[in-house]
Amino acid sequence: MARQSFWSGLVVMVFAALCLTWIIPNYAGVNPLAQMPPDLVPNIASWIMLLSAGVVVIKSIMEMVEKRESPVNLEIDWRAFGWAAWPFVYIAAAIFVLSHVKLTYAGAPIIALMLILLGERRWYILLGCSVVPVVLLYVLSVYMMRVGVV
Amino acid sequence: MDFSIVGSAIGETLQFDALFGIAGGVFLGYIIGVIPGLSRSVAIAIAIPMTFYMSPLIAISFLIGLSKGTAAGSAVSAILLNAPGEASSAATSLDGYPMAKSGKPRTALQVGLLASVIGDILATTILIFVAIPFARVALLFGPYEMAAILAFALVFIAGLSGGDIFKGLAAGALGVLLGTIGLDNQTGLPRLTFGYTQLMDGMPLIAVAIGTLALSEMFVQSEKLRYERETMAVKLENHKGDRITFPILRKIFPTILRGTGVGTFVGALPGLGPSVGSWMSYGMAKRASRTPEQFGKGAPEGVAASESADNAVIPAALIPLFGLGIPGNVSAALLIGAFAIHGITVGPLLLRDEPELLYSIFAGMIVASIFMLILGWFGLMVFAQITRVPPHVVIPIVIFFCLAGMLLQGYGAFGLIILIAFAALGYLMKKYDYSFVTFLVAFIITPMLELNLRQSIILSRGNWEVLLGRPIALFFIACTLLAFIILAKRTIERKKPIAEIGD
Repeated sequence: MARQSFWSGLVVMVFAALCLTWIIPNYAGVNPLAQMPPDLVPNIASWIMLLSAGVVVIKSIMEMVEKRESPVNLEIDWRAFGWAAWPFVYIAAAIFVLSHVKLTYAGAPIIALMLILLGERRWYILLGCSVVPVVLLYVLSVYMMRVGVV
Repeated sequence: MDFSIVGSAIGETLQFDALFGIAGGVFLGYIIGVIPGLSRSVAIAIAIPMTFYMSPLIAISFLIGLSKGTAAGSAVSAILLNAPGEASSAATSLDGYPMAKSGKPRTALQVGLLASVIGDILATTILIFVAIPFARVALLFGPYEMAAILAFALVFIAGLSGGDIFKGLAAGALGVLLGTIGLDNQTGLPRLTFGYTQLMDGMPLIAVAIGTLALSEMFVQSEKLRYERETMAVKLENHKGDRITFPILRKIFPTILRGTGVGTFVGALPGLGPSVGSWMSYGMAKRASRTPEQFGKGAPEGVAASESADNAVIPAALIPLFGLGIPGNVSAALLIGAFAIHGITVGPLLLRDEPELLYSIFAGMIVASIFMLILGWFGLMVFAQITRVPPHVVIPIVIFFCLAGMLLQGYGAFGLIILIAFAALGYLMKKYDYSFVTFLVAFIITPMLELNLRQSIILSRGNWEVLLGRPIALFFIACTLLAFIILAKRTIERKKPIAEIGD
């Protein structure tokens, strides 16, 4: 837990530092005449992030020293990582498809393929679970919300 | 109180379409609540885009009905499956599952249902009597007071909704940072939009809510499938004697009243969720019982204590929302988003500007409780069957509706990319114990916080001494500092977290 806190805190610190030194000065807008500068709240938020994450890092270093724990663990469970990562990759690929094809048309195959990847093999479940949501979406978008096929 | 407005509001709620919306919300909530892994906030996040075509009253009533239905439905899976639909029903399974295993599943479900409904109706009544005077007082507050109260609520939620206040503050600050994206209200300058015109109106709330809550939760659930797949539910059969009786009802009634009190108190405080309420109530019921040794082995009081508190939290969490405009938990924060989509500013101004809508919502909440009882009582067999739906079937369907929610709002592929980015963020926050509750609440209240801060700075011309003449604002600033010191000390001393999830 301390190792996780250390690395996550460090990432937050780096992000906050990036916001303070590059993102906010360049993209938050500056207007010296405004009574409340537009970058005031983003700056305060970034400072809170930086300081809070700093405390998380210091606390986790102290815990690791106390437990004689190394900050780096080279024993990575790649199977667990793969199991956690594939849904993200799958949805990212689905989004790529959806930038070309409407969800109402591509929805059933997207659901069915994911069901197969999750281990479902019964054809009636595959058919029912992939078609019924699409029909519901069609009714909702076309007849109830009247926004057309999405 | 103008009784003609109240009468008209009740009439509005009793219209067929409003009743249909509430019943639909409760029914859908029940189904979602029964399925383990689908929580109240996930249900609300996915349902918000579906309410676009509804009138504000029906939309809000539908969402509140949904919220109540999930709370009651989660008890079904806790009792029959020993796998609570929501974390807040975990205490229910301690006694509910042993009752079901010992041949009394129907009794356990009926005890849970009655406790849920009574707790819910009593807490809704308290909400009605507390929120209105609260809102009247809050109408006297100026920007100084509101900015101080919002800052206090954020620090309080950051400290209580997770184990570590520093991680909570970091998450909250990220929420504030992302909440400032879009055109600056005073100068009209684009802030942190990186040239994307789609971000001029700010980061889309639906993408943030569905991504951080629903889609990320589906990723967490699919990861869990690697370790746990099969679930075995207790069958609900017509055993003789498996019915709630008057002696049982008499035995559990004081526990329900105590649970309602605990749930209402916990719900009214920002950051403490129903999980805290149900566990506190369970502990108090055990201490107050003459037979504490029965707890954990199938005591009906255990089920009643947990369920009454769990359901009392939902209306109670709306006290700071309607009274001050501050969401106490994620579900309340999502309701702010739903109100905003329908062009309504929630908070004390609702009482002044649209009292009829406010009273209609209150009436709708009472009606939702009655529907909850009817649907729960007569639909037990149906809902018991839903516990048999395997999680791997649910995940792709929920993901489909997450994507559909974004597209229905017209964001297209850009919205979907933001959605998956926030899903990844939500997944990492859950994985590394950064409070996504604080993140989401901070994101939603940032426009209000910034507006009040700006008004304060303009009115005071940057002179902080003005605060000396504002005792309420000073009081909340002092409370913020005090809360920070106490909660930081608690984190540094590595004490147990007060709440796991402030949902």
